[in-house]
Amino acid sequence: MSDKVYSWLLRLYPSHFRQAYGEEARQLFRDRARAEKGFLPAVRLWLDLLVDLAISLPREYRYGQPQVQAATRQPVEASPSFHVLEVEPPRFGALFLGGLFSLVALYGISVLFSHPGEYRRDAASFSQRQTQVDTRPSPSGPAVSHAATTAYKRMAASGQPVDARLRADASNPSDSQSKAPLPVGQTSSPQEQVSQLMPQSANHSINRVAEEVKLDAAERQLVLNTVIKNLKEHYFDPEVARKATNELLGHQHDYDGVMEGATFARLLTGLIREVSHDRHLEVVYSQSRLPAQPLTPTPEALARYQQRLQQENCTFEKVAILPHNVGYLKLNSFPEPSICRQTAMAAMAALNQAKAIIFDLRDNGGGFAPMVSFIAAYLFDHPEYLYDPRVSPTQQSWTRSPVPGNKLADKPVYVLTSTSTVSAAEQFCYDLKMLKRATLVGERTRGSAHAGIWYRIDDHFGMGIPETRPVNPFSKTDWEGTGVEPDVKVKAVDALVTAEKLAERKLRR
Amino acid sequence: MPKRKLDPLPSAAFQILLALADEDLHGYGIMRQVAEQTCNRMRLGPGTLYSSIQSLLAEKLIEEVGLREDEKLGQERRRYYRLTSAGRKLARSEAERLADLLRVARVKKIFRGEYV
Repeated sequence: MSDKVYSWLLRLYPSHFRQAYGEEARQLFRDRARAEKGFLPAVRLWLDLLVDLAISLPREYRYGQPQVQAATRQPVEASPSFHVLEVEPPRFGALFLGGLFSLVALYGISVLFSHPGEYRRDAASFSQRQTQVDTRPSPSGPAVSHAATTAYKRMAASGQPVDARLRADASNPSDSQSKAPLPVGQTSSPQEQVSQLMPQSANHSINRVAEEVKLDAAERQLVLNTVIKNLKEHYFDPEVARKATNELLGHQHDYDGVMEGATFARLLTGLIREVSHDRHLEVVYSQSRLPAQPLTPTPEALARYQQRLQQENCTFEKVAILPHNVGYLKLNSFPEPSICRQTAMAAMAALNQAKAIIFDLRDNGGGFAPMVSFIAAYLFDHPEYLYDPRVSPTQQSWTRSPVPGNKLADKPVYVLTSTSTVSAAEQFCYDLKMLKRATLVGERTRGSAHAGIWYRIDDHFGMGIPETRPVNPFSKTDWEGTGVEPDVKVKAVDALVTAEKLAERKLRR
Repeated sequence: MPKRKLDPLPSAAFQILLALADEDLHGYGIMRQVAEQTCNRMRLGPGTLYSSIQSLLAEKLIEEVGLREDEKLGQERRRYYRLTSAGRKLARSEAERLADLLRVARVKKIFRGEYV
């Protein structure tokens, strides 16, 4: 037994020592154990061994192997030389453990590769917050004012009569409602939406104390009546509005005793969506007071937004010519053309000589329809109607093709998509797919199509209502809720490689 | 990697050299001899013993003289070690160095009466 223990202790020594003296050391131990019988001698023996171990182990490791010393003593010429330090082959256990650790390390690295990391994602979503509001930002930080700013700009750009509404509200202050545009493609939670609509510059004037306001029957009735009134007046489909009204009135007994605003808002939203299936139709509750007037963006906020965009090269992340003269454009949003027109023109000019073109929209969180039209113009030799479910057709719904000097109108186009391809980016995908102008490669897109206009009901309630739905020239449904289906379905990470292969094959023909 | 030093001579190595002065011994024999000549004060453990033997062999102060049995300890074959002339010379010079020290100590009168 004790011999076994000592054998095990001997394994702590370096292998060269074990090999040379292991057997002798065990022999010595056996001799001593045989000679020194009894309790006290045995204790002394083990004490000696432990002291000996403590002293000699470090020394053995420090002074190392005689072979190494001999090897290093030889004069080393310019030629390389190899020395075997361990004469003993590695033990099976060591090989097994080494293999296991290598596999774990390799697996870890591959996992890390496929997850680009939180930092990058945060940075990306932050920049998207600056440029458009379709992402789901947390309602904090300076991004809020940008988001609201953008919402206004978007409405202005899409021709919504924001100013007219403001004037109407100002002239009729007794009206408990006031309107503000709701960002396009909203699907985020009510709290976030409300927060997005509050520019920071106005925050100090808003009572942000989060008091828990209990609902009473009177307020519930007021909210319900206003919701019904708004639906009838503003929803683009009167038939659906009527059905939703019936649904709301039919469940009146459910509302009794609902004391929390958020619960009540969810209840109403659920009922309306039951019949409308429209994700942009919703009732929103805000714990903090909603501003009485819609807020106009301050010039500083606009300047910051503009500066931010310019710093990020208008989210044109990469313009490159890939092998086989395939042009590549990674675009992370469709920014406001009034700010980014030059950048967009420069990017398209850089790709003008390409034989095929790949648009990478895998991280594109959306943006402004005019930019969609601006870029798409390069892909046609005649004006083409780009369907946008958000707004009624305007002059900007037609591409301004042909673009002078442009050579891309007849080149193959590939669009890379992912589940993070949202809103305006989906419009780009949808229209190019329907016009058979591009091959979509990647994953099905997010599925965020419609836009709602924001209506204030009272201090804590508001609602979003889509007001228009233009005729879809391609099919009965757009991509709302379902996303745009790619032509070639591959994982988003593999999309670029796949598209490159497709382009190469096509060009070879 | 630093080279193992025998200069100054560690006391364990000196004791091993002294133990081998009379006869060839195997490891256990050396250990017993050392314990005997130090009145059981120094009991060399296997680690210290064989690492000392290793360095003494490397410096050719002792040598291996092959395997044989020790009748007193049974059938097992043991490796015996022998002092080389270089080892003897080193042991002598070490003893002289200690004798010098002893002389100094005597002059300084740090001994108790009976040793003077």
